[in-house]
Amino acid sequence: MSVLETPRIVFRGNIAWDPIVTNNYFGLYDENSAETVLPHADDTWAQVQAFRAEAIDAVPPDPKKANQRNWDPQGTHRSVFYDLAAPDSASPDSAITDSAVSGVDLGSGTTADDPFVGAPARFSGKLVDLEPYGSYSSQLFFDTMTFGIDGGCRIAAKRRTRVTARYINLGRNPVFYIAGFASIVWQTSFLIEDLIVDAFDSPALQALQSALGQPGVIGLTVRWVNYRTVYYDCPELATDIALRTTTAQALVAKLRLNDAAGNGVWQPNPARSKMVGVIGLWREGEPLHEPGDRALLATSFPTQGPANPPCVATAFARLDGDSLTLDLGSSMPETGLDLTKQNWGPLEVVALDSSKPGGSVSLATIGYDEDTDPGCQAYYARPYYEADSGIVSLKVDGSSFSPDAPLQVSCPTGILLTEAPFRAVPLVPNLYLDETDSAEGIFQIYVNGVPGGGGTEVTVYGLDANDAVVSGPTAVTAGPDGRFAVDLPASPASVVSHVPLIGAGQPAPSGGLNPQVDTYMYVRRLPADAAVAALDPTWDNVYTRVLANWNAMAPCMDNWLDLHDPDQVRASAPAIKYLTDPANLEAFSYMPVTRDMTAGERTLLYKFLDSPSPGAAVNLGSEGPANRPATDRIRISRYMRSP
Amino acid sequence: MILLQSKPLETVEDACTRLQTAVELEFSTLPPYLYAKFSILPGANDRSASYLGDIVGQEMIHMCLACNIMNALGGDPKLVTPGTNPPFPPVFPGGLPGDIGPPGGEPIIVGLLCFSEAAAAQGMAIEQPVNPILFAAEGAPADDQTETIAQFYEKLDAFLSTLDPACWQKDRNQIDDSQYFTGQLYPINSYEDAHRAISQIISEGEGSTQSPLDFQNEVSHYYRFKEMFQNQVLTKSPNPPGYQWGPEAFGVDWNAVYPAIDNPTQHDFSQENPAARAAQAACNLAYSRLIDSLQLAVTGHQGQLGAAVRAMFELRKAAMAALTTPLNDGRVAGPSFLYTPTTGASS
Repeated sequence: MSVLETPRIVFRGNIAWDPIVTNNYFGLYDENSAETVLPHADDTWAQVQAFRAEAIDAVPPDPKKANQRNWDPQGTHRSVFYDLAAPDSASPDSAITDSAVSGVDLGSGTTADDPFVGAPARFSGKLVDLEPYGSYSSQLFFDTMTFGIDGGCRIAAKRRTRVTARYINLGRNPVFYIAGFASIVWQTSFLIEDLIVDAFDSPALQALQSALGQPGVIGLTVRWVNYRTVYYDCPELATDIALRTTTAQALVAKLRLNDAAGNGVWQPNPARSKMVGVIGLWREGEPLHEPGDRALLATSFPTQGPANPPCVATAFARLDGDSLTLDLGSSMPETGLDLTKQNWGPLEVVALDSSKPGGSVSLATIGYDEDTDPGCQAYYARPYYEADSGIVSLKVDGSSFSPDAPLQVSCPTGILLTEAPFRAVPLVPNLYLDETDSAEGIFQIYVNGVPGGGGTEVTVYGLDANDAVVSGPTAVTAGPDGRFAVDLPASPASVVSHVPLIGAGQPAPSGGLNPQVDTYMYVRRLPADAAVAALDPTWDNVYTRVLANWNAMAPCMDNWLDLHDPDQVRASAPAIKYLTDPANLEAFSYMPVTRDMTAGERTLLYKFLDSPSPGAAVNLGSEGPANRPATDRIRISRYMRSP
Repeated sequence: MILLQSKPLETVEDACTRLQTAVELEFSTLPPYLYAKFSILPGANDRSASYLGDIVGQEMIHMCLACNIMNALGGDPKLVTPGTNPPFPPVFPGGLPGDIGPPGGEPIIVGLLCFSEAAAAQGMAIEQPVNPILFAAEGAPADDQTETIAQFYEKLDAFLSTLDPACWQKDRNQIDDSQYFTGQLYPINSYEDAHRAISQIISEGEGSTQSPLDFQNEVSHYYRFKEMFQNQVLTKSPNPPGYQWGPEAFGVDWNAVYPAIDNPTQHDFSQENPAARAAQAACNLAYSRLIDSLQLAVTGHQGQLGAAVRAMFELRKAAMAALTTPLNDGRVAGPSFLYTPTTGASS
């Protein structure tokens, strides 16, 4: 739906990722207890130092497997759109340098002649996986997103909710290191009241402003796909196994510049990706966090390794009369480092209409490029992909087939994509709960990309991080509005993905959750930690049972606040309370960034912060010179995070 | 406007001398810009604080790029040059390295000023191009032709273009963007790389003769400071030259600052309370560690950049502590940015 309508605006660029990944490892973090696994040592501070040293020890690849390990122990979780001041060595002929608006489509195809084109795209978020051991629950917490600058053509948007990752494609590119072979669909949406659109002389922004006044339009959706992720700023790691060790050792040497635990230095190691994206209308009933459009699901998947065999990944479509729009942003794999698209030959788009002779109607053909497939309506080779963010517009004869007929995309050697007419999409994709909470997970049925499907029978399974079934099958039936609820009763701390399968009596997903095919809702339950809450609020208890977790796991916090310094912690009480307040969970600056402080830990921490102070050496927050205006928590928050 | 003395530019050594000036000049903008930023009360003047942060980051990048060019030519950048006049690292208030002022005039005296109209005007003066673009709502005539920082870089660029390719030493002591300033820092291995860097530095500082925007369509430093000074957003306009001042207010609140003294270097801290003295000492120690680590980083010890960045955060924390530590008269003082060699530079 939405972003596949016009007017729409496409952008492209680069995004950097700087997450701490130390919590991805069972030996270093316990996902269920939400605790850092500290090694044995004489005291907690010594444990923290030993843990930091272990995290650095875990950087070099296992020599037997040449695999990736803990590649960013001093990360910040920050993810930013960035510009390339110099050509990208990984793709020297890349058209993508700046993160900027790259085109507009007012209904006649993507063009670059609008004054808004070239406006910088600016975004800074924090990357957090709800389920740290997996790959399917990534989220970007942020406050604002802007395209353009103050005083110029721009869209400025305040966050309604985090950006959510879905439809992870584990076979996008066969020659990259760590998770560089994957592509991911990211999406969030903004309400009209949280938007500023300054159109000036931009016909595209003028059209968007006008469209925002249409009935049923409630805001804008931003969707992007990231791909070609490079680690250690070294694309050669994909093929040079020896280099993996030497680059990791070089990072370790930097991390150990002052001591084995990495104190006194800050050595982040951000990865970086290419991205293409789109901005479009958000209509009432459309999911804010993932595509609700018609889903053309992948029919085959890599089984031997990344993109081996190469496969075409799930796409999305919208049909408006004679206009069919396909979002192939995440779909078409590349052949390697130079980002050349795999040539599958011409792609035929058909409607599977059983009322028609032969049971299908050919709608259009998408060629590879104009040289190899002249005369096609659209193309999917790299230059076209980068120009229109992988969104293909086709003119079809809307009267020649039923609009409900499932769509299919095939190439000369077989079927690549087939529409699943019914999809069940959660209203909340990733949910944090305490173990004592009872809740419901609401799902909406979409039929051919439109909310509906009342009476649809659904089978729901709950899967743990290892894809083992921990709940279900649960049979549910959608109400008249196409919605159904999954009970989430109070239960012990855990991480569970709830997967709805259309139809009664469906077997559990074979091979576990498949993000290319399945929709899902992740639920993470944190321990109550009532025993921790009941502890005396001594510094020793607070540090040992609460703060040491992040003092060990997140050395970058040293840049802002020394979690091992009781005076600094106490002096920052107002800021800490604001930043750890569950009401601020969506905020960029929420602490801990990993969202894994338990209720009991919070209670103990607050008891300490509220207890009489023996005298703080440094005042960072609530008090200051006599004539200083009173501060509020927001100001303190900003103070804490501003560089 | 900063006016640099024209010097012979005939050899690689001449170029390295000029590049050393560039390194000193870019670095020397950091303390006054940081002082203004630090002095803003938490949560106030968001737009100004954000832009000052961006400008500081870009000046750091400019300095590192100048070091990269110098290293590529076989030079050795120095962040401490004892005995020079003006001193480097700079002492404020004072002149900036290389600035000689207009003929018959005096160089700009740059101070550590709280966020204020004077601080914004000082930023404009440092970044001013030869012919600032005139927009609607202002009518002063353009300045005449003089040598600015941009011209300094353009002349350097012109000379570098004449060098034999063999003059460029590949991968010598280069700092890249693998850890910091993603996308903006890159090795200099050829004239083409150096030209790109110099164009970036000029563009981000002054914009172009036709546009206030830099090469990435962001407002350049001079016009950013002018937005603050005039309290007006530079706004797209249908009339030539395409922009005008306002009508949107930039949102400056000159009163939303700590009650900090200007130029703390001129304050006698020996008469102050121990907490204030300790706060100043902590600031100066962090600043000195920053410089010493940077010196190592730009001379082939890349890991030291991580120590320098940590020192930068320590400086920020120390500055915040200083700005909330009352002097005897109830005012406060930001960092003095006084360098003394440390023995603790990471090695």
